Amino acid sequence: MHPNADVLQGTLDLLILKAVSLEPMHGWGISQPFQQFSSGVLEVNQGSLYPALHRLVKRKWLEASWGTSENNRRARFYKLTAVGRRQLAMETDTWRRFSAAVEAVLAVHQT
Amino acid sequence: MARLANVIRRLRTRLGRVSDGEIDEELRFHLAMEADLLERGGMNRELAVAEAKRRFGGVDRHTEELRDVRGGRIMENLLQDARYAFRLSRRFPAFTAIVLLTLGIAIGANSAIFSVVNATLLRRLPYPDDARLVILFSQNPDKSVPRFSVSYADFLDWRAQTRSFSGMAAGTGTTVTLISDGEPLRLSGQSVTSNYFDVLGVRAERGRLFADGDPTTETASEIVLTYDFWQRELAGDPNIVGRRLRTGGGERTVVGVLPRSYDRDNPGVDAVTVFNPASIPNVESHAQHMLAVIGRLKPGVTQAAAQADLSAVAARLAQQFPDIAGWGANVFMWRDEATRTLRSPLLVLLAAAGLVLLIGCINVVNLLLTRATLREREVALRQALGAARSRLIGQLLVESGELALGGALLGLVVAHFVLLLIVRRAPTGLLPVDITLDSRVLLFTLALAVATTVIAGLWPAFAATTPRLAKAFRDGGRSSSGGARALRARRTLVVAESSLALVLLVCAGLVIQSLRNILAVDLGFDPARVVTMRVNLSGPRYTDTTQVQFFRELQSRLEGRPGIEAIAAANTPPIAPGGITTNLRLIGSTRADGGKVMGPATAITPGYFRTMRMRLLRGRDVSWSDAKPTIVVSQAAANAYWPGESPIGKRIGFGQRDTVGFEVVGVVNDTRARGITVDTPLMIYLSYAGATNVARTMSLVVRGRGDATAIAAATRAAILEIDRTLPVYAVRPVTQVINDSLGQSRLNTTLLTIFAVVALALAAVGIYGVISYSVTLRQQEIGVRMALGASSSNVLTLVLREGGLLALVGTLVGLGGAYFATGLVQSWLFGVGRADVMTIAGTSVVLIAIALLASYLPARRAAKVDPLVAMRGD
Repeated sequence: MHPNADVLQGTLDLLILKAVSLEPMHGWGISQPFQQFSSGVLEVNQGSLYPALHRLVKRKWLEASWGTSENNRRARFYKLTAVGRRQLAMETDTWRRFSAAVEAVLAVHQT
Repeated sequence: MARLANVIRRLRTRLGRVSDGEIDEELRFHLAMEADLLERGGMNRELAVAEAKRRFGGVDRHTEELRDVRGGRIMENLLQDARYAFRLSRRFPAFTAIVLLTLGIAIGANSAIFSVVNATLLRRLPYPDDARLVILFSQNPDKSVPRFSVSYADFLDWRAQTRSFSGMAAGTGTTVTLISDGEPLRLSGQSVTSNYFDVLGVRAERGRLFADGDPTTETASEIVLTYDFWQRELAGDPNIVGRRLRTGGGERTVVGVLPRSYDRDNPGVDAVTVFNPASIPNVESHAQHMLAVIGRLKPGVTQAAAQADLSAVAARLAQQFPDIAGWGANVFMWRDEATRTLRSPLLVLLAAAGLVLLIGCINVVNLLLTRATLREREVALRQALGAARSRLIGQLLVESGELALGGALLGLVVAHFVLLLIVRRAPTGLLPVDITLDSRVLLFTLALAVATTVIAGLWPAFAATTPRLAKAFRDGGRSSSGGARALRARRTLVVAESSLALVLLVCAGLVIQSLRNILAVDLGFDPARVVTMRVNLSGPRYTDTTQVQFFRELQSRLEGRPGIEAIAAANTPPIAPGGITTNLRLIGSTRADGGKVMGPATAITPGYFRTMRMRLLRGRDVSWSDAKPTIVVSQAAANAYWPGESPIGKRIGFGQRDTVGFEVVGVVNDTRARGITVDTPLMIYLSYAGATNVARTMSLVVRGRGDATAIAAATRAAILEIDRTLPVYAVRPVTQVINDSLGQSRLNTTLLTIFAVVALALAAVGIYGVISYSVTLRQQEIGVRMALGASSSNVLTLVLREGGLLALVGTLVGLGGAYFATGLVQSWLFGVGRADVMTIAGTSVVLIAIALLASYLPARRAAKVDPLVAMRGD
């Protein structure tokens, strides 16, 4: 069973926000932690990351600007905005409560 | 410049809008980084780049997805969608080819018929303010002939007493023989009252037209030439005005040339002279019907008002003059009259072409739905990533719009060829010569493309983007419940198109049967190897007596020459629509009407029945030696006028006051003399020999042994031996006259049959498509059945039954539709009823048989399936 599309989208957003919360990152950099996911659970290839990035920019959760990458290439960097930070906190909270609930249910069944 | 571009880019970035160039750059960066990583891991550069692309997924597709999110201006989207749709169409070449072909044929059929409609029904008359022009007719007492020609006396009284018309004029056909040093030239002319061109609003190209004056003091020597004749025969002589021409009726002066536009409405007319009432015997009689009358309505006067006005005047005249008692008058709009015989068949054909397009659209809907299932994952992914539904629907519509536009372009090519077929097969004079795919036709075709996009594209676009289909993501595109629902919808579509195809098939079947009936009609004479041609014995040289002598001498000279069997003349050619219908008096009749009847009459020379190979049933033929004119009647006329009595020795008067009349000497078999489909066997044949006031233009009929050209040449030679100023014209084999008279029926039948066959083929494709889809959906079920012991033939039957059932339901629905549609072609039918059982049963069987054939291919595929593979369902 694959995750529902809505869940998938929400999860992807959360992961992106989390990835850029420490420092501005370019798309490729954000995509790296997803490698394991992309081959398995999420069934999302790297290209699918970009529509999500642009969508988040449009919602003003992220801010994009052109800069220079670690190996001196022109790259587009994404940075968390204030709105995005609030959103991240909220989403993280929701996710934790959700997964805790799932965890609890699974624990009940296992005993 | 570079700086400016930079500023703009920065501005756009700040506004949250990213340019295509930036998207490309960002994606290129990603690919480069990924490739670097892979290279460091030990891959060579080339492989690393390829692998990076693979991990990324299609770059094109993600560019599209990015645009979904980014949003944008409508025009920009439209262009991008169009580009994307174009690329997509190359990804599915078979799909694209089938859709383009279907739409091309269907739209082409419509554009071709519309271009004929455009050149006829929608065309204006070449006269100013043509919406006010009308044609006026007399109406006989039993109202069986609403378009009877008008007497000069009636015309004068109508013109003087009505108040609805700003002008009224009259005319009749005439022939003018132009005498020059070579062979005499016969001009086809019109003879009109001098105000004729004023009423029409036509001005002279050169010189002047006739001066409006007192019609009784016309200058009979004036002549006006048509532009075409002036250019063709007189080489556009610049000094034409004032030139004197020698004609059969004396010298005439050319006073002017008509404009070129006049030729369009009067093809074949060479010259126009002024109508001289004094040349018409008995012209003061209100019963002397012989003119065509036109009029121009006063501004603001409707046809109905003019009709009421005219009817009142006609009723008064009918009371005043006993010989027109009971007669009335009709006024018709000229524009409608000009296209009267074309309107109904053209509208039927347009409707038929419309049905073909509808069936084509249904097929395209089916194909789009099929493709939508193939693209479910693409659409679902884009929706998941945030593409708005309206944006996706818009894009799918652009895709179908592009297909429709391509179909329309192909349709114009198809229309060009259908139009060639129509123009080539139409009988001469039925259609204008200049039918083209003009701007109005192009606009119509474009409108069809738009309509097709909406009809064929909207539903599949909505269906493809409903959230239900987003579930495809979860079950990998094998959503069985959604599939079943889609299958139901498609079956309904196939039933609909089968029923529409059946409607066309039934109509075509009935019309074909009618044409076969027409061709099988017993004409009552033998048309093979008979040539007809016309001669006009005008000029001072011919009187009643010398005319009769002319034909007698021609007969004695020609008969017995090699290749000639028999020759005679009549005042109407065989199979002539219209003909002469006149007042007759059956002298001594005890009938309630006192023997006063209207009957068709033909003047013939002795030998006519022999030449036409008609059978003399009683009495004798008319003879050159008759001292007085004699009469032969048709069998049906004998039965109708003197039931139970011998007609031999009875007398018939011409005109109701003729109490002496002429003697009936014989009875001949009935013929279809007034047209094959016109059932008027009543006919009075009056001997030409000894008659007075005889017709000046006669049709010769010559039966020979060789081909038509040889017969015509021998006849022409013999005529010129007698009178070398006599032109011979309208030379045609009678079989060709008959064929031409069937030209419109044949053309209608051909087109309707083509449309029906195309509809049937499209329906077959539709059935094939839906059965294939159904077989794919039922693969697992079929596998289980086979595993449980069902044989291949069981499976074959199962699938065939599904196809047959769809066609059967379609047939039943279609029969309901045919019940209404056949009403539209009823006037085309001959010898076959609207509800002809054989035709309906036959076409139903054809449809079901074709449906079974179309189901057979997927059925065989299903029957060959390996049960194990099918059950796994991959």
